[in-house]
Amino acid sequence: MNGYPLLTILIFLPLATGLCLLPVWRCSDKLRQIAMGGALLELLLACLCWPVAQWPQAGAPAGFFLYQDLPWIAEFGIRYTLGMDGISLLLVMLTAFITMVAMLTSRHSITDRPGLHYLLILAMESGIMGVFLSLDLFLFYLFWELMLIPMFFLIGIWGHGRRIYSAIKFFLFTLVGSLLMLLAIIAIYLMHASQTGVHTFNLFSLAGTVVPHAAGLWLYSALLLAFAIKFPIFPLHTWLPDAHTDAPTAGSVILAGLLLKTGAYGLVRFGYPLFPDAAKTLTPLLLTLAVTGILYASWVAFAQRDMKRLVAYSSVGHMGFVALGIAAWTPVALSGAILQMVNHGVTTSALFAMIGMLDERTHSREISDYGGVWGKAPVLAFFFVLFAMASAGLPGLNNFVGEFLILTGSFKISHLAVILGFLGVILPLVYTVRLIQELLFQEERKPLTIPDLSVMECSMLAVMAAIDIYLGLHPAPLLDMLHTPVSILAGGAG
Amino acid sequence: MTIADLWIAVPLMILAGSALAILLLGAVIPTNLWTGAGIIATVMTAAWVGQTPPLTVAPTLALASTPAARLFIAIFSLTAAAALLISHRDNSDHGINGEEYPATVLFATFGATALSMATNLLIMFLGLEAMTFGFYILVAMDLKREVSAEAGLKYLLMGAVAAAFLAFGIGLHYAGTGSLSLTNALQLAAGNKVAHVGWGFILVGIAFKLSLVPAHLWTPDIYQGAPAPVTAFLSALSKGATVALLLLILPTGDLGAIRPILWWLALLSMVVGNLAALLQTKVRRMLGYSSVAQMGYVALALLSGTAGGYRAAVYYAVAYSVMSLAAFGAIAVIERNGSGEDTEGWRGLGRRSPFAAGTLSLALFALAGVPPTAGFTGKFLIFTAAIKAGEVPLAIIGILTAAVSAYYYLAVVVSLYMHDPGDSAAQSPSPAESVALIATGAAILIIGTFPSPLLRLLAAAFP
Repeated sequence: MNGYPLLTILIFLPLATGLCLLPVWRCSDKLRQIAMGGALLELLLACLCWPVAQWPQAGAPAGFFLYQDLPWIAEFGIRYTLGMDGISLLLVMLTAFITMVAMLTSRHSITDRPGLHYLLILAMESGIMGVFLSLDLFLFYLFWELMLIPMFFLIGIWGHGRRIYSAIKFFLFTLVGSLLMLLAIIAIYLMHASQTGVHTFNLFSLAGTVVPHAAGLWLYSALLLAFAIKFPIFPLHTWLPDAHTDAPTAGSVILAGLLLKTGAYGLVRFGYPLFPDAAKTLTPLLLTLAVTGILYASWVAFAQRDMKRLVAYSSVGHMGFVALGIAAWTPVALSGAILQMVNHGVTTSALFAMIGMLDERTHSREISDYGGVWGKAPVLAFFFVLFAMASAGLPGLNNFVGEFLILTGSFKISHLAVILGFLGVILPLVYTVRLIQELLFQEERKPLTIPDLSVMECSMLAVMAAIDIYLGLHPAPLLDMLHTPVSILAGGAG
Repeated sequence: MTIADLWIAVPLMILAGSALAILLLGAVIPTNLWTGAGIIATVMTAAWVGQTPPLTVAPTLALASTPAARLFIAIFSLTAAAALLISHRDNSDHGINGEEYPATVLFATFGATALSMATNLLIMFLGLEAMTFGFYILVAMDLKREVSAEAGLKYLLMGAVAAAFLAFGIGLHYAGTGSLSLTNALQLAAGNKVAHVGWGFILVGIAFKLSLVPAHLWTPDIYQGAPAPVTAFLSALSKGATVALLLLILPTGDLGAIRPILWWLALLSMVVGNLAALLQTKVRRMLGYSSVAQMGYVALALLSGTAGGYRAAVYYAVAYSVMSLAAFGAIAVIERNGSGEDTEGWRGLGRRSPFAAGTLSLALFALAGVPPTAGFTGKFLIFTAAIKAGEVPLAIIGILTAAVSAYYYLAVVVSLYMHDPGDSAAQSPSPAESVALIATGAAILIIGTFPSPLLRLLAAAFP
C-alpha cells in the first residue's frame, strides 16, 4: 500500500535540505538557518508519525502502521520497501531529535567549511532514517553503508588528535563487517530463490526461508559480526573510543546517540527474525560478550583521564545492557533494550554535548584540569550532575527504567548474567560519582574561566533533561508503542 | 557483398571514415577543432547503433551486429567521446595540437568496434590489434615527456609479445580444429591437444590485455607514464574491449579446461593487485594496480559460466570504464597545477579544486564499492553470480580484498580533504572537462542507483 509518502519524505528531506545549502555555500548565517530549518521540519514530521500510529495504513504488515512498497530493480527482485512500526518510530524520533542537537552544538565550534559540515550531518540523517525504515535488505544495506561516509569525513576533517587514524579505523572496521553481511544477505536471497523460485530481498519473505542449521550459523554470524561492530559489543569495540575521542562534538553526539543504535536495531529487526535458530544457538555467546562488555567497559572507564573517553567507554557498557536485553529475547527484556537505546541516545548525547561546551570554553578535556566548576558555572554544573546521574541509572531518571526492564526480563534466561549485569549497574555509579566530584566539587586545580551556559545551550539541555525525567517517571506511552512490535518479534523467535 | 552487409558495417565506416577525413583534412586545414569533429563522429556512431534495428550476420565481412555488439559499440563510442572531452585542454597545454590525436582515438575505437562485431577469430584478432596499435601511439603521444615515450616503448614491446601469443594461439586452434569460426570455438577444441595448447596461448594474450596477474606487470608503468586522458581512455576502452572479446569466445555453461586457469587468474589478480596497490604512494600507480584487482573481479564473474555472470561482467566493465574516465579526468585537472604525482602533493586539494577533487573522491568511493555507486552495484552483481555458481570461497576472498582496497582508496580521499593545503595554485577544469566530469560522475551515481535500464539491455544482449 502506498497511501502517503511520509516515510520517503522522512528519509529524503534532510538530503534535500543539504542540497539547498549549495546556493548559499559561502554565507554561514544563511547556511545555519536553512540547515536548522530543515532539521526542525524533519523533527516535526517525525513527531507527526506518533498520532499517525493510531490509524494504521491498510495493507501494512502486522505491527506496522506506515508502509510503502514500490518496484525498484525488478531484475533482481529488489524493491523500495519502507515500513514503520513502534520500534522504528521511537528511533526515527530519536534520530530527528539528536540531529537537531548535533547541529546546535556545532553552532559556534564549526567555523571551518560550515556548509560541508551541515551537508554531511544532513546526509547522515538521511542514511540513518533509511536504516531505521527499510524493510528490503538491499535497501537497508545501501543506507547502512551510506551513513558511514559522512561520519568518516566529519571525524577526519573537523576532529582533533589522531583524527585521520580514527576516521580510517572507524571506516575500515565497519566496512569489513558490513561486506561480510552483504555476502550473507546474497546467500539467503539465493537460498530463498532456489526454494520458492521468487527473487526477493523482502525481509518478511526471506524470514520464511528454510535455512539448514550449519549454514544458518555461518550466515547469522556474518550478520552478527556486522551489527556487533556497530553496536559495539566487546571485543569489537576498539574503534569506538578512538572515534569518539577524536570526533568533533557533533560527531560524538551522532555516534553515541544514533550510529550505535543502528547495530542493535539491525540485530533486532534482521538478525533474529532471519535466523531464529542460529540466534538461539548463539545466545550464550551474546550473553557472555554482553556481560563481559558491561564489566570491562566500567572498569576501563574508571581509569580514563579524558572526559570524552570516559563517556565513550561508559557507552560500551550501556550498549552491553542493550545487548543483554536482546540476547534474552523476552518481551520485557526486549522492550527494555529498545527503551534503553532511546535513553542512552538522549543521555549520552547530552553528556557529549556538555563536554563539548566545556571544551569550547577551556580547550581541555582532561579531568585533572578541572575542579570547582559548581562555583563558576552553577547552571552548567546542575545539568551535568543530572545527566551523569541519569547515565549512572539513578531511579526516577530514564536509564533506570531501561536497565530495570532488561534485568527483570533476562532473569528467566540466565541468573548468572543478571547477577553480573547488576554489578554493571553499580560500577557506573562509582566512576560517575568520581567524575562529578573531581569536576564540579573538588578544589579548583587550574584557574580556568568557565562562563555559564548561554540561553540557547540552556534551553537545549533543558529539553533533553525534561525528556530524561519524563521517561524516568512515566515511560508507559513508549512501552505501549513498543508492545505490539515486540510481542510479534519475541513471539516469532519463541 | 550485399547492401545489408554494408549496412552492418556502417558504425565501422563512420569511425574509420572520420578518422581518415580528420587526418587528411587536418594536413591542409590547421585548426584546433578536430577534437570536436572526433566527438561528433563518436556520438554519431553511438546514435546509429541506438537508432537502427539489429541486423543479421554479414558472412562476407565476418561481422555480426548482435545486440551484444551494438551495446559494446555504443559504450566504446561514448567512452571515446568522453576521452576526447577530457583530453582537449590537456593536449593544448602539452602542445599536442594536431589532428593526429583525435584521428588515433577514432582508429582505436574502430578496432574495438570491429572486435566486438567479429564472428571469426581472425577479425577478432585484427580488431584487437587495430585498437592496441592506436594505444601504442597515444601512450607515447606526449613526446616531450620522457616517461611518456618510455611508457609507449614498454607498452609496444609487451603488447607485441601478447599479440604474438594470441596469434600463435589462434594458429594452433586452427591447426587443431580446422575452423576459425567463433561459434562454439571452445567446444570444438575439446579433446584436441593442439587446440588446447592454442587456447592456453590465447588466454595468456587475453590476461595481458586485461592485466590479470601474472601478466599485469606493464600496467602500473603505463598508467603512470601515459598522459592522464590517455590513461583514462586506455583503461576504459581496452578493458571493455577485452571483456567483449572474452564473452565472444566463452560459451555459456561448462568452460571446460580453461576454467581452472580462469580461477587462478581471478584469485591471483584480486589478491596481488590489491596488496600491491596498498604499497603505492603515487596515485596513478595505485590505480594501475587497482585495475589489476578490478579485472580480477570481472574474471570471478566470468567463472560462473552463466548468462547472469556474463551480464555482471559486462555491467562491471561499463562501471569500470565510467569510474576510470571520472578518476583520470579529475587527475588530468589536478595534475595541471603541478602538484606532482604523490598523494603528498595533493594535500588539501578538496578545498582548492573542489570540483575535480569531488569527482575523484566519488570515483574512488565507487572503485572501493561503496553504495550507491556503480561500483557497488557491480560488485553486488558479481558476488551474486559467484555465490550462485558455488564459488563461495573465492567470493569471500574477493570481499576481504575489497575491504583491503578501501584503505588505499581512502588514503587518497584523506589526502584531498583532511590535510591543510600546500602551496600549489588552484585549478579549475575547462568547460569540456567539466562536461566530461559531470557526465561521468552522474553516470556513476545513476547506473549505480537505477541499474534497471542497463540491466535490461544486458538481458537482451546476453540471454
